[in-house]
Amino acid sequence: MTSSVRFWIAALGFAAVSGLAAAASIDLGRVFGAGKDLATAASGLDENDEIAVGREVAGRTLGAAPLVADAALQSYVNRVGRWVASQTERPDLPWHFGVIDSPAINAFAAPGGTVLVTRGLYEILDSEAQLAGVLGHEIGHIVRRHHITVMQKSAVISAGAQLAQARDRSLLVGNLIGTGAEIFARGLDKSAEFEADQIGIVLAARAGYSPYGLIEVLHKLAARGSEDGPLALLFKTHPHPNERLSELAGALAPRAAALPSGKEPGIRQVSADMPPPAATTPVPAEGTRALQKEEASAPPAVPSGGGSGFGLDAGGVLRGIFGR
Amino acid sequence: MTANARFLVSLLARAALAAALSAAPAAAQQVTLERDSPLYAEPRLDAAQTAQLKQGAAGEVVGKQGGWLNLKTPGATGWLFSFNVRFPVQKAGSGEPGSAALGQVFGPRRTVNVTSQIGIRGLEEEDLRRASLDAGQLKLLDDYVATKPAAEEHARAAGLAPAKVEYLDAKP
Repeated sequence: MTSSVRFWIAALGFAAVSGLAAAASIDLGRVFGAGKDLATAASGLDENDEIAVGREVAGRTLGAAPLVADAALQSYVNRVGRWVASQTERPDLPWHFGVIDSPAINAFAAPGGTVLVTRGLYEILDSEAQLAGVLGHEIGHIVRRHHITVMQKSAVISAGAQLAQARDRSLLVGNLIGTGAEIFARGLDKSAEFEADQIGIVLAARAGYSPYGLIEVLHKLAARGSEDGPLALLFKTHPHPNERLSELAGALAPRAAALPSGKEPGIRQVSADMPPPAATTPVPAEGTRALQKEEASAPPAVPSGGGSGFGLDAGGVLRGIFGR
Repeated sequence: MTANARFLVSLLARAALAAALSAAPAAAQQVTLERDSPLYAEPRLDAAQTAQLKQGAAGEVVGKQGGWLNLKTPGATGWLFSFNVRFPVQKAGSGEPGSAALGQVFGPRRTVNVTSQIGIRGLEEEDLRRASLDAGQLKLLDDYVATKPAAEEHARAAGLAPAKVEYLDAKP
């Protein structure tokens, strides 16, 4: 097979994987030129590859938890997210935002511009500034290419056919896609999380919000503690919120005076018509219940004692301070 | 009790509760100082300092403004940045002092979905590893995308003014 035939097979293979019509025009020779080592080849993935991989990751994450069926909420989160993302050096990525129907408290950044926030996290937020801080953190991961970099390293190291992969871009992209949404289960290193926190603060400030929304959310997470079920994965894949707060304090203290105070608009509520998110594995236990619509204006349940779970909405205990 | 009477009772109970909750920020939240920090007379770094607190000192949060918390300690009252304090972990149904009171003091938002956490787990490793792509959901995700002008319009309506702020890791 001639090298140009191999090129087109590879290019078409990639186009099929990514669904991007423009993919065939990518100059594979530039990326995988003779004499390049594996690491160089891997880091040569361009923005289209990043978007293609991210779309697959986002699609699989949605396969695990679908979007909350509240169109107005989803549009709202997209407007806020796009506004925050517009403050970055990658404003024209295909930015997508969504609230996914899971009681977990977490958020995910898929390479190339997709941010998914769980309903569990969304519902502990009290202001649009807090939402902007959370989205800004995830946008920071995307702008600085944190996940795609980890996926590349992992694909290069783990692939059996490393040489073939280096010569055939579709194999490499396929390998990255094979990692799927698992990347979110493995997490990033601490420095990437601290970096994303700092970016989240700055992007919120640039967008005109109070820069401190993310700090308020971290306080809320810290107050819930690591034994909180819905926070299990977040605590496993991120440094402890207190550690993140300390890092932020160190970075912010010298510049706090220079940060604009910004605004704290109210946040849109999930439609009252939506049933509470279904737990992935509901285990009925004494005291396990979700407050329904008619109880929505009632006070939080007071701990009944004796249970191992939270009797009150522990994410809401700081609302008096960090609420509207 | 008739349905109407029950409704009235529940309405009255809620009204009483709402009044209680809307009364001045009642009992305050206890915090401890994570690091030495001055208290300022106002939430500004150029305001007069009212005290110098040591790491581990305790106080009550009696107010909030942006990133600032208004703290009341046995010896002084003043403002400090929220990243200088730590809130206590809310122990699950422990009846720990303050925990129940907090639930009363820091009332819920207008609508809540308070879910007891016993036995509930969220999206976990295995769910993410096993998940397969949902094309229909990806299409929905596309449908909800906001254009740049729509985002800008949202910002204008919310009164958000863009500001020039350097990344914190930017070289000065």
